[in-house]
Amino acid sequence: MTTTAQPSRGQILLDRGASLPLILPATLLVLVFLVGPFYYMAYTAMTDLSFANPDQNGAFIGFDNFRKLVREDTIFWGSFWRTIRFVAIAVSIEFVIGFALAWLIWRYVERQRLLTTLLLVPMMLAPVAVGLIWRLLLQGDFGMATHYLRAVGLLSQSSAVFSTPSLVMPTIIAIDVWQWTPFVTLIILAGLMSMPRSPFEAATMDGAGPWRQFFDIMLPLLRPIIALVLLLRGIDAFKEFDKVFIMTGGGPGTVSELLSIYAYRVNFKTWNLGYGAAVSFMVYLVVLILCSVFYKAVYWKSADQRAQA
Amino acid sequence: MSKSWKILAFGILACVLVIALTPYVWILLTSFKGRLDILSPQPTWFFTPTFANYPAVFIDKEYLPLVFNSLIIACGSTALSIMIGAPAAYVFARTDFAGKEDLFFFFLTTRMAPPISIAVPLFLFFTTLGLTDTIYAVVIAHTTFNLSLVVWMMRGFFAEIPKEIDEAAMMDGRSKLGAFVRVIVPLAAPGLAATAVLCFIMSWNEFLYAFILVAFEGRPLTVGIPGLITPHGTLWGQVAAVAVVATLPIIVFTFLVQKHLVRGLTFGAVKG
Amino acid sequence: MYGNGSRLRMLIATSLLATSAALVLVGEAGAWSLEEAAAPYKGTTIRTIGEALPPLEAMKKLAPEFEKRTGITVEIEMYEASETASKVMLDLNSKRGRYDFILQQHRNVGKFVTNGHVEPIEQFMTSAELRDPEFKPEEQLYQGLWKEISWYDGKAYGFPFTALTMYEWYRADLLSDPKEQEGFKAKYGYDLGPAQDWKQYRDIAEWFTRPDQGLYGTAIQGKRHEALWYEWLNFLYSFGGDMLEVKTGSECGPVIVNSPQAIAATEYYKSLMAFSPPDTLNYFWDDVMALMQQGKVAELIMWNDATYAVAVDENVSTVVGKMGFDIVPQGEGGKVAQVEGWSYLIPTAAKNKEAAYLFIQWMMEYDQQLEQHLNGGATPRPDVYASAEVQKLPYAKASMASNEVAKPKPTIPQSSEMTDILVREISSYLADEKTAKEALDESAKEISAVLGSCAPMKYPVQ
Repeated sequence: MTTTAQPSRGQILLDRGASLPLILPATLLVLVFLVGPFYYMAYTAMTDLSFANPDQNGAFIGFDNFRKLVREDTIFWGSFWRTIRFVAIAVSIEFVIGFALAWLIWRYVERQRLLTTLLLVPMMLAPVAVGLIWRLLLQGDFGMATHYLRAVGLLSQSSAVFSTPSLVMPTIIAIDVWQWTPFVTLIILAGLMSMPRSPFEAATMDGAGPWRQFFDIMLPLLRPIIALVLLLRGIDAFKEFDKVFIMTGGGPGTVSELLSIYAYRVNFKTWNLGYGAAVSFMVYLVVLILCSVFYKAVYWKSADQRAQA
Repeated sequence: MSKSWKILAFGILACVLVIALTPYVWILLTSFKGRLDILSPQPTWFFTPTFANYPAVFIDKEYLPLVFNSLIIACGSTALSIMIGAPAAYVFARTDFAGKEDLFFFFLTTRMAPPISIAVPLFLFFTTLGLTDTIYAVVIAHTTFNLSLVVWMMRGFFAEIPKEIDEAAMMDGRSKLGAFVRVIVPLAAPGLAATAVLCFIMSWNEFLYAFILVAFEGRPLTVGIPGLITPHGTLWGQVAAVAVVATLPIIVFTFLVQKHLVRGLTFGAVKG
Repeated sequence: MYGNGSRLRMLIATSLLATSAALVLVGEAGAWSLEEAAAPYKGTTIRTIGEALPPLEAMKKLAPEFEKRTGITVEIEMYEASETASKVMLDLNSKRGRYDFILQQHRNVGKFVTNGHVEPIEQFMTSAELRDPEFKPEEQLYQGLWKEISWYDGKAYGFPFTALTMYEWYRADLLSDPKEQEGFKAKYGYDLGPAQDWKQYRDIAEWFTRPDQGLYGTAIQGKRHEALWYEWLNFLYSFGGDMLEVKTGSECGPVIVNSPQAIAATEYYKSLMAFSPPDTLNYFWDDVMALMQQGKVAELIMWNDATYAVAVDENVSTVVGKMGFDIVPQGEGGKVAQVEGWSYLIPTAAKNKEAAYLFIQWMMEYDQQLEQHLNGGATPRPDVYASAEVQKLPYAKASMASNEVAKPKPTIPQSSEMTDILVREISSYLADEKTAKEALDESAKEISAVLGSCAPMKYPVQ
């Protein structure tokens, strides 16, 4: 586990006394309202609980659910890798475009207020509404976007986006990019605006070109913010549900069945809560491992550097 | 040279703006269309507007109170997240204690569990407490998942404020809490405002917890939207009207605090 | 299957007689009256939950009249269909009793009954204080629909709120166009008319598929959505197939979902995609209805309760007066219709069961049923169908014919899991991920595994 430089024992006691009332409410709230249900979920994962089948009344069955999940459930693994691909591709694209936009705004735009507000509109829409809006736009017979995609030749007259299995995931990724790139832009822009001028001025005097400045100064300075954005977006993308569920329901076939959709079916369609909890637990575990690796590797390394500076 | 770069940059931004806004504009137009215009095979940009969708959904279907429910839930949970999260973030920024970074990371882990999996346990838990169907349940739930955002964003922001300021305040005889409330919070106001906007958006748009935990009378707008997908046809005009009404407050709110929003999100992390 | 025309007329006659007899009785002392029966519950509020749709909105408009007469307030919560199911499941399983009665799809009845979540309705019907002597469900309802929608394992748990079926919709104006008739006959060698069997159905679909004119032969609801399963059932049943080899919905039995008939039905079903618009894998009832309203489709299989918005309502439809309706084409399985319904049920944890029963009973009366039916509902009462106002609706005959040949479908606790499996597998087949046989074999395997020893596979898969 992470430990930073150990302060002296006396200082710990002194600070802990004073800090406790400040940090306690948050910790307690999280403990009671998230960790409680979380342990309930972990326990349920080891039972056969079902709200549907009266024979499955919540008897303890150990790790049977996990065994079945890992060894036999091909649908689960299909959606698992699909989700990993979705998160990796969507977040990378969002990051690259988001960064580029933030840089353009930072570099060239003086009066940003209206522009940034308007750019943020996609992210202000509720995911439920986003799903419905895009379903309407991409509907094959009266969708406005379909009409123009066909008019410019990007889509043939005899096909439609959500009925062409090979187009479904790319479209979902594109819509996610549309919705969440503004979030990346917003946070990176904030980082850019707070960068100090002095290192750049010094570098310019040393004759460093724009690319050198970008890689040697800007990126290291922005590192914690980049890490935070990637972490938040990654976690949220992993949970993606509303949009995809409304637009495709996971289909055609299982082409767009992400983990959250799979978990929804098990929990809310078949009401196999024991098995559903096992699915959720696995999802949680994977995200946790990925995030802590990323966190240790990127975020806190830079924070340590900062602390030493 | 630099002039033409600037033109190019504005060109790109203009294109992006068009892509970002067109769907929204389309929804705005759709909210003033009748069903036959909405479903016409040719996109209709010009049409005889109807104002029937708004009263149909907000008056006849009684969706108007849902706007207030959304407001209460989002404001309540935002205020609570800030009130509880900011002090914790302050401690993370200022105090060293064993396991601090682990506890800090722990706050983020609360965001990782898919809501789909927490929802049923949370429902049963709140039912035991007798809180389901009350607005408290969903306010608490939203507060819990927004806490990670507050703690993570505000930590950097508090770190940016020089330590000497709280030391001076405590020298004046204020307690740590007193120093925090009277001196640090006002200094951190832009950061708080920015964080609050993000919390507000998350809570305002959240669907699943709100759907499961809140009673019919207290349901927010997001929960009302799927009710317009009926077996007799999705009421697109009404969906659009709700989507428009649901976004307007946030757009206005964001525009008003935009200066703080960007400046506030600096986390102090980038100071070289 | 469930009676015929003459029996129906008799039913109407008896119910009319009963009504007039009861009218005479009202004046006499001691007769049952709603006001009296409701007196002990005056001032209570009962709460229900159902899918947001016009018949429920009609109920909301009717409820104040009940309130005026009884002093019992009715609160109605309306959500989207699957949301309604989730809300109800959570309420029932946490036993908090928020709802005094619920409106649920009949496929869930097994889940509720076997877990002890709903009350048998008999206890209320045998109570002299509660039972309106004029209310005779065993005479006044389509018995087949009532048994299918609200019974489980030989016991009644409620009454149908809506009794839905699907049937063939076609563009009567196109089918009766002399030019079309001439061309069609020249090509296919027989007269153009509403399809009676599946060959005709496909020929008509093929004939009218003219993408350049924006017209398609049919429209398949191919989205990964329950709609797909419902639509597919019509083909399955009509081709002589089924999911389980059982007599009633509450039985468990051998899995026959991968029978040769089922495979043939599924392959035929997919073959229609060629005559359906390009976005067919993205359609559920919503899109298909919109297409019909826009006059872009010649024939399809659709729900009776959606008919109103296409055939009658000029505000939303361009084909008012141009539509014709008939029972689903016949195959090896003969005349069949798949029936779906929402049922009134009273939870065991409910706090005001008696008041809830009184309201349900009142809603089942002729007047209320008529009002709901005319507002896009689907009543289980034949006498409502027989009324002049309903007979004026262009789809009344097709509706009644379908109601009479309604076929039961599984309502056992695992039924929604079965649906979920089938939706996924058929969707995979439509998306060319596997063949019909592979998809149905996989479904049979999974369904058999879910149901356990009572459901061996009749057509084993290695």
